[in-house]
Amino acid sequence: MSDQFDFLLRQLPNLLWGFPSRRPGGLLLSLLLSAGAISAGLVLAIALAFANHSRNRLVQVLARRVVWAIRGIPLIVLLVLMFQLLGTGTLFGVSFSAFWAAAVTLTLYAAAYQADIVTAGITAVPQQLVSDARLLGASPVTVARTVTLPYCLRTMRPALVTQAITIFKDSSVVVVLGVADLTTNARIALGGDVSNTPFWVATYLLVGFLYWCVAFGIARLVNAHDRPTSSLLGGAHG
Amino acid sequence: MPDWLTGELGLQIAGGVAVTVALTVITSITSFAVGLGAAIGRRSGRAWARRTAATFVEIFRNVPALILLIFFAFAVPNLFPAGLRKTLFFDNRFVDTIETITTLPLPYYALAAVVALTVNTGAHLAEILRAGLDSVPQQRIDAARSLGASARSAYLTITIPDGVRIAFPGVINRLVHNLKNTALVSFVAVPDAFQKIQGTITKTFEATELLIFAALLYLLLATLLEFGLRRIELALWRGRAVDRRLDV
Repeated sequence: MSDQFDFLLRQLPNLLWGFPSRRPGGLLLSLLLSAGAISAGLVLAIALAFANHSRNRLVQVLARRVVWAIRGIPLIVLLVLMFQLLGTGTLFGVSFSAFWAAAVTLTLYAAAYQADIVTAGITAVPQQLVSDARLLGASPVTVARTVTLPYCLRTMRPALVTQAITIFKDSSVVVVLGVADLTTNARIALGGDVSNTPFWVATYLLVGFLYWCVAFGIARLVNAHDRPTSSLLGGAHG
Repeated sequence: MPDWLTGELGLQIAGGVAVTVALTVITSITSFAVGLGAAIGRRSGRAWARRTAATFVEIFRNVPALILLIFFAFAVPNLFPAGLRKTLFFDNRFVDTIETITTLPLPYYALAAVVALTVNTGAHLAEILRAGLDSVPQQRIDAARSLGASARSAYLTITIPDGVRIAFPGVINRLVHNLKNTALVSFVAVPDAFQKIQGTITKTFEATELLIFAALLYLLLATLLEFGLRRIELALWRGRAVDRRLDV
């Protein structure tokens, strides 16, 4: 039993922030990677959602097709495909490292799922609010920026948080590219060493527990924070 | 047809697609059953049932599917010493029977994949189905009760069927997601479509074409699954006097 704890204790720093003398990895990298993908993805998602509501049919169809395609392909396939295209420089002429290929793919993946949420959120904005703002002389862009978007994001916040947690869990799939995230580091820690087989269960229980802590923890924190302000327009600022 | 695509490689990939389809069908059914059970458990009057179901849901919903797959497939057998591990997981009558039926090498990994996908998708479905069961209008249950139905039979004939109907769009979404999650089993030595395609890449080096093919294949499978499930959804509502749009 104690050798189990010894092993876990020895590997814990590697799982949490990566192996010494290498770049940050482990849970820290999982968090950074998913946080980056979620925030960059949200910007893309907002663009896609407005394109989805565009009066230009071509823009609309294009945005819908992109979201549909990304949502229909498993992340593991998307990662390997994108690394093939980006890593060899086929797509942009520069060859991406596995890490950047993973970051780009995860961002697109996050954007597709968030785009559907933001699109629904824009639909949910009361038409009256938008036309009133237009009547008061605001330009369409100003209305989108100051009325539609804040209202939409506030309504859709619970859905976006749930999606963010999903992205974080899904980021474990970057192990196929060997990006040194939590899952990859667990594999490295166990290695091909037969003498490590007794530690597999304990290690993966710990890894599962670390993912669980973040996913469950964020859900709990946000739930607790959301409860007092139930009114949509109650917040002072967007 | 590209010249590197021989009949043998095509058959290999077709076999992989069959594994993916079988895995999707099996885990869709098992995870729906587990999810419905957990949803009923979470709404139960018995505290122990509520607590068990809630623990199940919160554990398996918040751990990545990939970690569950690796845990059940690779970690669990390592709990046992080498000799026992072999007889328990890889070399016994039960596993041999599955091997002859499915022709899968090392069927334990496929079995572990089914378990991992079932608990993961089941935990997600439980939340979706619970919301469905919760939103069955109380008047309808009251109406059944006032016509003399027992609480039990009202639950079985009104709450559960109507709850499933209401929750079905969410169920469809999650089951399509489950189909995409089956691609992860290639990571734990199950010869599904994606693993066979990756195997073909190492033989032919035609990575870009084959990966685009994989993407299109999953898009097609997802579209077909969604179409089939929508059919089931329509069948569930068939013959209902009440317009579903008014209910939801």
